[in-house]
Amino acid sequence: MRLFKSLTLLMLALTFITTQAQESKKYEGPILVTSAGQSADVKLAGLLLKKQKLEAETITMAKAEDLKGVKTLIVVPGFSSKGLGAAGISADEELKRVQELLKQAAELKIPVVLLHIGGKARRQGQSDNFIKEVAGVSSYMIVVEQGNEDGLFTELAKKQKVKLELVSKIPLAAEPLGKLFK
Amino acid sequence: MKNTAFRRMVHLGIIFISLHVVLFSQQEVLEPAVGKNGMVSTAHPLATETALRILKEGGNAIDAAVAAAFAIGVVEPDGSGLGGGGCMTIYLKDLNETHYINYYQKAPGLVDEIEYSRKIDKLNAKTALVPGTTAGLITALENYGTLDLSSVTKDAVRYAANGFEIDNTLAGIILDNLEVLQQYKETSDIFLPDGFPLMEGDTLKQSKLANTLKVIAAEGKEGFYDCYIATQIVNAINEAGNKFSLEDLKNYNVKVTDALKGTYRGYEIFSANAPQSGATIIQTMNMLEEIDFKELGHFTESAEVLHLMSEVFLRSYADRYFNVGDPDFSELPLELLTSKSFAKERFLTIDKSKTGEAGYRKTPEGFSIEKEEQGHTTHISIIDKDGNMVSLTQTLGTFFGCGFSVEGILFNSSYANFSSKAEVNKMGAGRQPRSTIAPTIILKDGKPFMCLGTPGGGRIIATLSEIMVNVIDFGMNAEEANQAPRFYCQVNDDFLNLEGRISEPIRAELENKGHHLKLYEDFDLFFGGAQFIIVDWDNHEYFGTADKRRGGMALGY
Repeated sequence: MRLFKSLTLLMLALTFITTQAQESKKYEGPILVTSAGQSADVKLAGLLLKKQKLEAETITMAKAEDLKGVKTLIVVPGFSSKGLGAAGISADEELKRVQELLKQAAELKIPVVLLHIGGKARRQGQSDNFIKEVAGVSSYMIVVEQGNEDGLFTELAKKQKVKLELVSKIPLAAEPLGKLFK
Repeated sequence: MKNTAFRRMVHLGIIFISLHVVLFSQQEVLEPAVGKNGMVSTAHPLATETALRILKEGGNAIDAAVAAAFAIGVVEPDGSGLGGGGCMTIYLKDLNETHYINYYQKAPGLVDEIEYSRKIDKLNAKTALVPGTTAGLITALENYGTLDLSSVTKDAVRYAANGFEIDNTLAGIILDNLEVLQQYKETSDIFLPDGFPLMEGDTLKQSKLANTLKVIAAEGKEGFYDCYIATQIVNAINEAGNKFSLEDLKNYNVKVTDALKGTYRGYEIFSANAPQSGATIIQTMNMLEEIDFKELGHFTESAEVLHLMSEVFLRSYADRYFNVGDPDFSELPLELLTSKSFAKERFLTIDKSKTGEAGYRKTPEGFSIEKEEQGHTTHISIIDKDGNMVSLTQTLGTFFGCGFSVEGILFNSSYANFSSKAEVNKMGAGRQPRSTIAPTIILKDGKPFMCLGTPGGGRIIATLSEIMVNVIDFGMNAEEANQAPRFYCQVNDDFLNLEGRISEPIRAELENKGHHLKLYEDFDLFFGGAQFIIVDWDNHEYFGTADKRRGGMALGY
């Protein structure tokens, strides 16, 4: 019984330490913004950062080599057939690109911020595949709450033990984004 | 003993739940709307309600279609509207006549003087052609309707003035087309207030559009083509780089002809005249007649069938590319294209075991066909209590057209539908570019059988053909036929495009036959948003369906 209590306390302590570590992770520039799924939402990320007077480079189809010198990677998940068509790639190729990018970010210890701003229009189907892929390596999530009506992001953040910031409208995502870098 | 009984109960419970899930989901998803006196299917519930109200109040199918068309331009502003054009196929039951109204957009007189670069000017005000929607809808109402213009524009005005709730489809399309919407202040103020897009659940108001609709309701065609609105259009669009004139607007004329006729396994098909794509629909169906579907099965179950159908599409799209354009400016071999003998000849060129090498994507002259702009569009299907039918497709070219708006009118982007390589579809003053839109009506034994159409740019011909095969060859009900998986293939595309529900074994076989596959969502808007009605005339029952790929609604009464 005493052993059980001690183990429980130890696990709680470890969880607390991990969460704290994630939250206190340092976010700084240079910032690279990219898409996961080629939706046009990624362009709004640039506008949100601009609102906070934050410099960032947006490469919609960023590759592992684009991470050179980058200190924070912001990924905007959302699937768009139109976007993929315009980029001339398939969903599988896009997923592979994202996986390689995220793998490299992890190797370089670059923190990844998940920024989901498309609401319900960027949920379900292939959008969810990209969301899950990005969430798996994210250290912070900012989500327009309409996209979290079914609690997917709450669940993913809990699983990943990272902070989830929900905002009611797209323009309001600028504030938590700004705070991260201040 | 106790354990065995428990297990049996669990098993029975699982079977019961599984059956319930299957049956319930099938009932929920695969049952069409049913009506005995009228049926409407459009891409938005508000437009459907508008048309149904008109039918219930005694209007005929044409009144309802015109009302729905004005309304859909407001509540689905990405797909069509006053700044675009379209066409409709009309069937008048008592007279046993079919008519075709072409009100597609036309090039302005000074189109040659527009400083247009295909690379830079893909989607801006320079790509707008002279719109025909207002003239077309009013012509239909005057020729075949029974109500006055103010009655059929009332709901459109209300939706524009009071606003309506943005649905999931529109929210997604706004997000997908940010760049187009960001270009011009009048447009971005409507869809991107404060620079950020309106989302699902937000209210979209279009007060300037409401005013324009009121002027049209009061003054008719002149309210759009020959008054202060026309002057505003010309001044603003020319300032943005186009070359409209007041004469272009004043002289816009609608073309009323017979619909183009073909047959498929004894059913009579009436579809769009050139430069729209009824001829290609008829050619495609003639070629598909060569396939023994009963023997070979459905394309979701047989890679051979899917291969054959995609090879048919490759050929009919290629023939369209070189032979279909504006008939007022070119001699078109439409009789040949729609003949059974030509279809047979073309079908015999198909290799059943494999697709062609990469070279099959090349034209006989050896150059690659440029990729046409993918128009997006909307469709309305309506039948009234007397069996009159209207199949109407209208468009802005691409989603939100060129993004330019004035007086609340969002303009089309149809300049890009002209071809720089195919002579028959060359750009020129007063010309209409080719379009894939093909509103279609089908009769069986001289009685109404189907009223169908779809948006979806290049996919329109493939999607409509697949639906006709689903219904005529496989006896699917309207909902089943609409929600069945889709595919598309054409000469100017490097891929055989498939919805995700086409099974892996079929995909593998297709790859073995040399196809390059591109997979989409299980239900993907890319493949259109078909709205159609199947008619059981002998029992006077109408079955309507709205495509779940596009948030539409079918309602009957």
